[in-house]
Amino acid sequence: MISPEIHSTVQPPPLEAPLPQKLDLKTLFEALLRRPHALIPRLAEPDHGATGKFAMMALISILLFGFVLGCFAKHEQLWAAPAKITAGLIFSGLICFPSLYIFATLAGARVAIFQLAACLAGALALAGLLLLGFAPAVWIFAESTDSFGFMGTLAIGSWIIAVFFALRFLGSVIFATGGTQKGPLAIWSIVFLLVTLQMTTSLRPILDRSNLLLTQEKKFFLQHWFETMDQSLKPQLAEKSPETPSEASPSSGGRNPFHEN
Amino acid sequence: MNLRQLIQPDADWLDTPTPQRVAWVALTACAGLAVYGFTVGFWRDPLMGAYVAVKLPLLIAFTLACNGLLNGLLGLLLGTGLGFRQSLLALLTSFALAALILGSLAPVTFFLAWNAPPPDAAGAGNAHSAHLVTHTLLIGFAGITSNIHLHRLLAVKSPTPAAATATLLAWLGGNGFLGAQFSWILRPFFGSPRLKVEFLRPDPMTGNFYQAVWGSIDHLSGGYGLPVLSVIVLSLILPIAKAIQLNHQTTPRP
Repeated sequence: MISPEIHSTVQPPPLEAPLPQKLDLKTLFEALLRRPHALIPRLAEPDHGATGKFAMMALISILLFGFVLGCFAKHEQLWAAPAKITAGLIFSGLICFPSLYIFATLAGARVAIFQLAACLAGALALAGLLLLGFAPAVWIFAESTDSFGFMGTLAIGSWIIAVFFALRFLGSVIFATGGTQKGPLAIWSIVFLLVTLQMTTSLRPILDRSNLLLTQEKKFFLQHWFETMDQSLKPQLAEKSPETPSEASPSSGGRNPFHEN
Repeated sequence: MNLRQLIQPDADWLDTPTPQRVAWVALTACAGLAVYGFTVGFWRDPLMGAYVAVKLPLLIAFTLACNGLLNGLLGLLLGTGLGFRQSLLALLTSFALAALILGSLAPVTFFLAWNAPPPDAAGAGNAHSAHLVTHTLLIGFAGITSNIHLHRLLAVKSPTPAAATATLLAWLGGNGFLGAQFSWILRPFFGSPRLKVEFLRPDPMTGNFYQAVWGSIDHLSGGYGLPVLSVIVLSLILPIAKAIQLNHQTTPRP
């Protein structure tokens, strides 16, 4: 058993070595996860070259997560879903970046624009890595369920968890650069989250199949989610391809799971 | 390495996640689950027992493989200081302990299955229900015990008790969520007397564990699914929260 005697001999961890001069992908990955406080001042130095690498990490991760979401409807969504999600995230980042700088300054942070850009790219890379961690589980459900409500909740839930850690990283950036107030970043976080959630509706269909790549109809995301929550992919596919067998699936309540355990 | 090291690990157990140690813990988990799994399926048919002996270790392997990256990321981000291999060893240790508990009970559950009315007998329905309830309770007990054990391991390694608790809850949520769906995909485990014995159902990837369980709870409670589900969730969460609180009080800090 874990005894107090053994525990009392545990030495304090050694002091952290500074980050190496060359910030390669592996170093950045490890610094994001283990040593964000060492990474933030390093990003204030010129020629760190981290922004592009973070952006690449974010792009690749989001593309892969989008592909997994596209596996739900398959067909054209295998390429459309990753393209839309990636474009949506880049667009959200770009339109929210000016307000991030202003709000960070309002919070008291003394951060340069290029440093903040690198930190935002790092935050999105962190969110992307977490989404990549969720991807296998999401794929299992994408192959198993037909419900838009379930799949949408799973995808949005994964995004909210991922963005929580990304925003936490941005929060540590603001406090590490002299920020003293939480309020401005909290407001910006809500704005950023709302923008990304609205993207799920503005760029629809992402989970569903459609002949149109994008729809022109304007709608608030909550209204869209409410309307599609109880819909299922299968009946629509059955209408589109009559040869699809229409037997009741367990997810639609056609079978009691405890009868075949 | 021996079983005592696994059941009563030292404080530095997670410091050396060597491939040999990870493999030994994984093999122990597989052996325990395979032995117990055989007794789970044996009542329906010895062939079913053999299938479940393979599927139960597979269930854990698939869950940990799919969530490996996520578990490692969460372990780092939530501040335990554990790396990817240490996270894997911690989770494997927890599963191995559950497997040891269940494996040690396997002779008893085998005896119960041996003495129960066979699936084609008149009282098979009752036997099946008793079989289900017994194994659910045993698996629940092993799961709770192993998670309390895991929390103790994390609490020793983490700089703060909150980091250990957050990591445990995040792992528990992620692995439980995916593991339940894998248990749906790998069904049957107990084997309904009315359905034939087979390794997987013909449509293993069709359907969703959560929607099916929700549908059943809502149906059985006459439309009061939400309050009933809340009671079930609370009755699971409260003892775990109590045990975690107790761990915080007894775990010495450096």
